[in-house]
Amino acid sequence: MKKVACDERPGWRSYAESVGFEFHTFDGEAYWDETAYYQFNLRQIEQDIEDPTEELHQMALGLVDDVIRDEEKLKQLAIPEQFWDFVADSWRNKAPSLYGRLDLVYDGTGPAKLLELNYDTPTSLFETGFFQWVWLEDQIMRGKVPQGADQFNSLQDQLEAAFANLPLANPLYFASVANSVEDKGTVMYLMDIAKQAGVDSRFIELEQLGEASGQLVDLEGFAIGGLFKLYPWEFMVQEDFASVILSSQTQWLEPGWKMLLSNKGILPLLWQKHQGHPNLLESHFEQPSQSFAAGWVRKPLFSREGANVELVTLSGEKISEPGPYADSPFIRQKLQPLPKFGDSYTMIGSWVVGNSAAGIGIREDNSLITKDSSRFLPHIILD
Amino acid sequence: MKQKVLKRSKKAALVLMVPTATFLMAGCGQEEAVQTAAFETVDQCAAYYNPEQCKADLGQALAMHTQVAPKYTDKAACETDFGVGQCETPAQAATAAGTEQVPQQAQASSGGFFMPMMMGFLAGQMLNRSGSQLKQPVQAQPLYKSRDDRSTFRTATNTPVAKGVGPTYIKPSSVQPKPAGMVNRGGFGAQAQKRSSSASSFGG
Repeated sequence: MKKVACDERPGWRSYAESVGFEFHTFDGEAYWDETAYYQFNLRQIEQDIEDPTEELHQMALGLVDDVIRDEEKLKQLAIPEQFWDFVADSWRNKAPSLYGRLDLVYDGTGPAKLLELNYDTPTSLFETGFFQWVWLEDQIMRGKVPQGADQFNSLQDQLEAAFANLPLANPLYFASVANSVEDKGTVMYLMDIAKQAGVDSRFIELEQLGEASGQLVDLEGFAIGGLFKLYPWEFMVQEDFASVILSSQTQWLEPGWKMLLSNKGILPLLWQKHQGHPNLLESHFEQPSQSFAAGWVRKPLFSREGANVELVTLSGEKISEPGPYADSPFIRQKLQPLPKFGDSYTMIGSWVVGNSAAGIGIREDNSLITKDSSRFLPHIILD
Repeated sequence: MKQKVLKRSKKAALVLMVPTATFLMAGCGQEEAVQTAAFETVDQCAAYYNPEQCKADLGQALAMHTQVAPKYTDKAACETDFGVGQCETPAQAATAAGTEQVPQQAQASSGGFFMPMMMGFLAGQMLNRSGSQLKQPVQAQPLYKSRDDRSTFRTATNTPVAKGVGPTYIKPSSVQPKPAGMVNRGGFGAQAQKRSSSASSFGG
């Protein structure tokens, strides 16, 4: 694994905008960054990332049964009691799931370590599945990347197959919050793939969802048989329509049982069950007034994009990221610092579609905490 | 020569996100009819499909019945459309379904309205008898029969779906249920609003 400097494609920004990638630059800072790429060999990809991704995924699924039977664990994960049956039923009825992303620490050698599971509302999907794919084809064509270079990225193929083969409602609605360009971009990409798989996909702003006689309805009052929502379960269960989740005959993507796996409380539970597993970091639920020791990270059960994460490095330096998620319990995770390439700390997001590993997207930041604004860089495989 | 197995997608195309392509796509997209089935009982359904799924589908149809059935303030008007003795109140429907509990929404507005009795159900997401999933993108829902055509099963919005019990072919969009009653909006999104000063995305 190494970082290789590379010429940018001329005019890539206007190309990005022409395909709906409007968030390529964030507050004047690059989000999509093709001034360099990461290079892996095939063994690193297959043995160190692909196989552990599928193994960790199976370990996570293996916890769902344990949690839905155990009130104490449901409480540890802060799942509201009125949703316990909803979550359990969605699992027992094998409610289909589309995708997820595992965030990994990996530097090219040794076992990748799981930082967390983004199993409810993962984003950076378009960047991974489409834009870095096109980047590789373009750069091979221009001779900037060696002929024969490949990429670990079957994301779009696998998503299309999932939309074609999963027993999904048709029409299938897609919702994201009204004023997030990034979330809408992700949803539009999923709708695009669904459309190619023959699904009648329809967009509705999350705030425009309606309720009539207990059913979730669209703008014209038709019942919504299936909804992909790029909006966290832990928000939905505490909003005005929480009761509609229980009364509506809607098929949800991601399904209710993902509430358990997108929760950072799953990390201590994984550790309890598979203590010492090479791809896991030691994790515990935070105890009241527990001191904050060097070499540990503190994360809320519910947060995204690094928000409200703090850590103390081995040398005692305290690093923290503010955010709006301070209102949930916390876990503690042993610090595995991200590897540094040049001035950047690098994290690997490893995708799962169904039960298969489906590719990676790489994020870089100037800090040890990866966040919303962290740069996205493409990668290649070359032996 | 051995074909090298690539780790990347064979293609990455967009059809909706590219403006010109959207234009080209607008003309196509003919919706295909899919196979589903109409039944009166779980036993009839179990002859074709997984019995557990049949039970779940009947349950879903019953739960929807009071929400989507056409409503009449007057029993005679209901019977004109659905036949003498073929109409009921939400309370009667709940008793017939063995739940005893009238759904809240129905109770609140049941200033004595009448609706047709449920005569069957449309099968939804189906498993075949061996338990593997069939692609069946239709929502399970209640079916009715009109006074002048007792052989045809119709949805709550009066779309005929089957002549009698058994498999049938329909376009999914023609059987999308439409609940009757007031629509409330804006019940999702409050948390995003509350936290939006410091977050631009609610994915992650």
